Amino acid sequence: MKYNTIIIGGGLAGLTSAIGCAGAGLKTALISAGDSALTFASGSIDVLGIRPDNSLIQYPFEEISHLPSGHPYQKLGAEKLRQSLNFFTGHLAQAGIEMISHGQQNHNRLTALGAVRPTWLSQTGTTPLSITAPAAGLRRVAIINLAGFRDFQPALVAAGMKKHPEFAGVEFTIADIKAETLNMNARNAYELRSLEMARVLKRDLFSQPKGMTIFASAIQKAAGNADLVLLPSALAVENGNELISELEQLTGLRICELATLPPSLPGMRMASALKKRFRELGGLLLEGDEVISGHFDGDKLLSVKTRLNPNMPLEANHFVLAAGSFFSRGLESSHTRLTDKTFNLDVVETGHREQWSSERFLNGSQHGFNYFGVETNDHLNPYQNGNTIDNLYCAGAVLGGFNPVAEASAGGIAIGTGWFAASQIVEKESGK
Amino acid sequence: MLNLINTSFDNCIKCTVCTTRCPVAEANPDYPGPKQAGPDGERLRIKNPELYDEALKHCTNCKRCEVACPSGVHVGTVIQLAKAKHGGFRKGPREFILSHTDLMGSLSSPAAPVVNTVTRLKPVKKLLDKTLGIDERRTLPRYTGQTFRSWFNKQAADQAGFKRKISFFHGCFTNYNDPTVGKNLVAVLNAMNIGVDLLKKEKCCGVPLIANGFFDKARKNAELNMSQFSRSLASTECVIATEPSCTMTLRDEYPEVLDVDNTDIKDRIFFASAFIAREFARGNKPEMKPVKLRVAYHSPCHLIKAGGIIHTMELLNSIPGLEVIMLDQKCCGMSGTYGFKKENYNTSQNIGQGIFNQIEALGVDYVVTDCESCKMQVEMNTGHKVLHPLTLLAQSLT
Repeated sequence: MKYNTIIIGGGLAGLTSAIGCAGAGLKTALISAGDSALTFASGSIDVLGIRPDNSLIQYPFEEISHLPSGHPYQKLGAEKLRQSLNFFTGHLAQAGIEMISHGQQNHNRLTALGAVRPTWLSQTGTTPLSITAPAAGLRRVAIINLAGFRDFQPALVAAGMKKHPEFAGVEFTIADIKAETLNMNARNAYELRSLEMARVLKRDLFSQPKGMTIFASAIQKAAGNADLVLLPSALAVENGNELISELEQLTGLRICELATLPPSLPGMRMASALKKRFRELGGLLLEGDEVISGHFDGDKLLSVKTRLNPNMPLEANHFVLAAGSFFSRGLESSHTRLTDKTFNLDVVETGHREQWSSERFLNGSQHGFNYFGVETNDHLNPYQNGNTIDNLYCAGAVLGGFNPVAEASAGGIAIGTGWFAASQIVEKESGK
Repeated sequence: MLNLINTSFDNCIKCTVCTTRCPVAEANPDYPGPKQAGPDGERLRIKNPELYDEALKHCTNCKRCEVACPSGVHVGTVIQLAKAKHGGFRKGPREFILSHTDLMGSLSSPAAPVVNTVTRLKPVKKLLDKTLGIDERRTLPRYTGQTFRSWFNKQAADQAGFKRKISFFHGCFTNYNDPTVGKNLVAVLNAMNIGVDLLKKEKCCGVPLIANGFFDKARKNAELNMSQFSRSLASTECVIATEPSCTMTLRDEYPEVLDVDNTDIKDRIFFASAFIAREFARGNKPEMKPVKLRVAYHSPCHLIKAGGIIHTMELLNSIPGLEVIMLDQKCCGMSGTYGFKKENYNTSQNIGQGIFNQIEALGVDYVVTDCESCKMQVEMNTGHKVLHPLTLLAQSLT
C-alpha cells in the first residue's frame, strides 16, 4: 500500500504536517501511538517568549535572528514561521476554533498556578494580558472554583499572581460555587477531573432551559464587581470558547478560563479540531498503532513497519517523523545513549551523562536534555550514520537544538517545522 | 496469568487520556473511567480485593483506552482480568444465552423460520425483557436456515481446484445468522485465484465469552481453534477472518487475556481486508467494474485496536466509482452483547448518538462497516442499510 506521505506522530507538529499534505490533495496517513501532549497543553501557542537571560520577549519574530545556529527557527526563518502560523490559525478557524494574537507582540497568559507566561496565540475563552504590563486595568480579580474541583485551587492561583510585582495592588476575591447551586448530581463529586466535571455540568446544568442563567447569576454573585473573573477550564470541551463568551454577555463580566491539571480541555479541544480538519481534507488517521522500524535504501526511507501489522509494511514517497520528545516516547535515553527509537537517526551531541541534567532539578536552571533530539540539515532532513535521508523530515519536539521549556517555544516549533516539512513535500510532489 | 499485566500497568502516569476517550465514561458518568477502573484500581485491589469497585461492570471492552494510552498500558485488559478475578461478572442465564453464540446458533439455525418469527413478536420480546433482561427495544439477530458451512460444503470441490489456498475462520455470525459476508469472501478470493478452505472444526473465537466472564470456556475454545489452525496451516497460506472482533481475539487476545500461546502462527492470522489489500499491492487485483454509490464508512472499535482501518480504507478506495466518506472514528455503543442488556440500553444508545446523527446528516446510499454488531446498531438507529466492505467488493467483480 503506497501513500504520498506518512506522518509519524499525532501531536501538534504531526497534525500540522498532515493537514498541509492532505490539504494539497496528497494521499496522507497519520500514525499516532496514543494521544499526544496536546491533551496536557494550555491551548495557547507559544512561539518564542523568553531569552536565555530570562527576560521576556516582546516581539518574537525580531528575536529569531539572535538564536544560536542549529536552532530549528534558524532553519525556518521568521517569514516562514509567520506563514506557518497563518496557515495554522486558518485551518483551526475552519474547524471552529478562533485564535487571538496581540498585533506583532507576545501577550501574557495566566496559568492555574497563578504564573504569568508569554505566548503568541490564545483561544478566545482566555483573556490575553499585556506582555509589558499584565495587570494593566485590573483592580479586582475574582477566582472562582466549581463544586470544590480539586484540580484548581483558587488560593494557589492568587498566591502565584501576588508573587508578580505587577499584581501587588490587585485585590483578590476567592469563591467556590457549590454543587447544589449548579444542580450537579454526581457520584463522588470530589473525584471529578476537568473533563468529568464538564460532562456532569452538560448533563445536569447546561441541558436545562435555565442552566446558563443559573450559572451566570452564581458567577455574578461570587465575582461582585471584579474586573476579571478566572474560572477553571472545566465547563465544556468542544464549544468551551463559545460558552465563555455567552457567559460574558449574560454577566457583563470579563471571564477567562484557565487550563487545569490534565486533562486540559483547551488542549483537547485543539487536538480534536485538528483531527477533524485532517479528516475533512481526506486524510487517514490511524490511532493506537506505532511505527517500530523503517526500511532504508541508501538515502531513502522506502517503507515503515508498525507494531500491529509488522508483516504489512507501509510505503510512501515521503515521511515526516513527529513522534515527540521523551514524554511522548519519540526520544529514548539509556544510561549511555540517546536515540530517536524509531529509525536510529543521528542525534545532537549529548556530552557526558553527568551533564545531561543540572543537579538542582527544579531551581530554574537549564537542563542539557531539553536540547536533545534529532539533528537535521536546513530542510529538516535527518542523518543516519552521517548520510542525509532526503525523503524523511523531522518536526516538533523530536528535533534537537532548542529548549522548549526555557524559551517558551514548543508550539511555534511544532507548527513551523510541521508546516515546513509539508510544504517541501507538496512542492516535490507537484513538481513530478 | 496476571504476572505480565502486573508489571505493565505501572507504566501508567495518571494522565487521564484513557478516560477522555472512553465512550462509556462520556455517556454514563456513573462509570469512573478506565484510569480509575484499570491501573488506579489495580493498585488498590492488589492490596485488598474488597476494594474492587462494582462500577467496572459498565466497561464494554471496546479497547479505546488502549488505543489512546500514550504509555502503552493495556488498560482494557487490566479491567477485564480484574472483573474475572473479583467476581465482577454477573453470569446468569441471560449472559449464558448471549455469549454462547455457537451453541445458540446450532440450536436456532435448524428452526430459523420459526425462531425468526417468534423473536419478532412483541409479547415474546416483552417476556425476554421481563424474565431475562434482554431489552425489548432491541431487534434480535435473525438466524439463517442454511448455515454457511452447509452452503460451503457444496462449493468445496470447486475450491480444491485452486493452487493457492487460505483457511477461513467464518465465526458464528456468518455461519448461523447471515452467510452473506462469507459468500462474498469466497467470490472475491476466487476472482483473485485463491481458493478457500474451512477449518475442520471451529468454535466461537471467545469474544462474547470474555465479555461475559466465561473465561474457562473461552480458553477451551481458544485451544481448540489453535489446534485447528496448526493443522490447517500445513496446507493453506494463512487464516483469514472477516469479523474484526474475531480477528483481534484470535491474534491479540488469546495470548494477552486468555494466556493461550499463539506465537508460532500469530503472523499468519489475517483480517480479510489486510490480506486482500496486500494481494492488491502485489498486483493480484481482479477486474473491477464501477460501483456508483456514496457510502459512509464506520470504523469498528476492535478494528481500530487491531490496526486494520488502513486496510479496509485501501480496499474501499480501490473500488472504482465508489465515494467513501469516513465517519468520526467513534464507538457505535453496541459492543456485542452489551447493548442487548436492559440496564445498558440507554448508555449504549447515548454512546452511538453522535454517529447516528452524523449518518443521518450525510444522506448517503449505504453505511459500510466491517462489524456485524455495529451493523445491528446502525441499522436499528438510522434509516440506512449497512454493508460489509467485502459485499461492495463482490459487487464490483465483473
